Amino acid sequence: MLKVEGLNVRYGKSHVVFDFSVEVEDGKLLAVLGRNGAGKTTIIRGITGLLPGASGSVSVGGRDMSGWPAHRRTRGGVAYVPSGARCFQNLTVDENLEIASHANGGDRGWTKKRVWELFPKLEGLKNNMAGGLSGGERQMLALGRALMGNPRVMLLDEPTEGLAPVLVQSIGTLLGTLKSTGVSILLAEQNHQMALRVADRAAFIEKGRIVEVLPAARARDSEVLHRILGV
Amino acid sequence: MTPGQVLLFAVGGLANAAYLFIVAAGLSLVFGALRVINMAHGSLYMIAAFVTVVIGNQLGAGLGFWGGMLVAVAVAGAIGGVVEVLVLRRVYGREHLVQLLGTYAVSLIIAGAVRIVFGANYRTIVSPIPGHLDLGGYSYASYSLFMIAAAIAIGCAVWAMLYRTSLGRNIRAAVADPDLLNATGVNVTRLYTTVFMIGAALAGLGGSIVAPSQAVGSSIDTDVLVLAFAISVIGGLGSIVGSAVGALIVGMVISFGLVIPATNPFALAFVFIIMTAVLIVRPRGLFGLPES
Repeated sequence: MLKVEGLNVRYGKSHVVFDFSVEVEDGKLLAVLGRNGAGKTTIIRGITGLLPGASGSVSVGGRDMSGWPAHRRTRGGVAYVPSGARCFQNLTVDENLEIASHANGGDRGWTKKRVWELFPKLEGLKNNMAGGLSGGERQMLALGRALMGNPRVMLLDEPTEGLAPVLVQSIGTLLGTLKSTGVSILLAEQNHQMALRVADRAAFIEKGRIVEVLPAARARDSEVLHRILGV
Repeated sequence: MTPGQVLLFAVGGLANAAYLFIVAAGLSLVFGALRVINMAHGSLYMIAAFVTVVIGNQLGAGLGFWGGMLVAVAVAGAIGGVVEVLVLRRVYGREHLVQLLGTYAVSLIIAGAVRIVFGANYRTIVSPIPGHLDLGGYSYASYSLFMIAAAIAIGCAVWAMLYRTSLGRNIRAAVADPDLLNATGVNVTRLYTTVFMIGAALAGLGGSIVAPSQAVGSSIDTDVLVLAFAISVIGGLGSIVGSAVGALIVGMVISFGLVIPATNPFALAFVFIIMTAVLIVRPRGLFGLPES
């Protein structure tokens, strides 16, 4: 379970995320919805430990990770899939996966073989440089890399951005499968339709604050969805 | 110039290129991963040269040099580790001027310390591989041939480290995206210290290997730094292949430039003329990657 309490993020003098507190239980998915610039990416990066200006507490499975540097949080089971399908472009597909394997998987242990099964296309490209892949392939690689760390918690920042509808759908299916293995997922998305299809709850963000948290079923045609996302 | 002379001067150029490559490879490795230009790189080279000479002479002829080299490389690497933790960690991500000033301050401190500890006199050590090879009426110092072989071996070792080990894979990943590497579970802070220590150890290895072929004095730090920079600019900072090609060019230009009477007074100037030409035609160097 992911528990975030009182997350505040400051960039120099400007305060950009205010008292963000959420809980995501094992096997549940929380969608974080909001417009561009609402603070979704900053919230996720604050949870990863990458932002020096972040305060508040983060715990995973009851283990308090507040104050831990990013690499320790990752090894403790927090996987981060940044936006833009970021990969190590000058490394091969194979190396991109290798670099994330920490051998702490236990029964959920992810291996390259399992990632190839999940994304058969990647296996054929394993000796290619990640920089030469298409957007969709890179997103698969970014997800595969996150899985290689055997996460208990996944933080995904707009994984469907710029992808063809058929890929958006398969990412939705994948997230559903991951939930069933007990992973807690926090998903920041612009694509609220896809996000609400797989989410259990949705947190609406405006100007760095949570405005409302709703069960996904109720969020779909809520007033707050229309107001915040303008749909 | 007869063919025999050409070969003689070419081997001289290769010997120059050999130690310069080892030093420039360290400078380039550090810049590639840490994006910091290390003005103290020549200082680590100088310390290692002095330590090699002093310890080597103390231990006596024969094995003494190798013992001195071992200690010198360890000392250079260790000082590099201390410098990274105390100075560089404060300047990562800052503008290059701050980084230059920070590492330049380190170079001044080391230069002062070397003068206090080792004095201002030149020191020498006898070659651990005496003798020479006679070929076509000319004689080649065995030690020069050893330097060339050592540089090739070190170049291959650095390449293997970068492309055949997990440490090298992490270093290459850090070049591309240190933030993502952190979030992938790699301790980038520690990785940077390791990279800087390897770079420092390479500077030390260069200083140690050059010691039997030159007089070691308290100004060799800037002499080598200037050439290592020229090599890095020509070959491209951050590229090991670029360091090798740059070192070959500089080594040859110096060797042939010095022996041709007409060019003798300008031999070093040619290095910088080539450097300027490369900067005009290809600012990132022959093998360099554009700065992201």
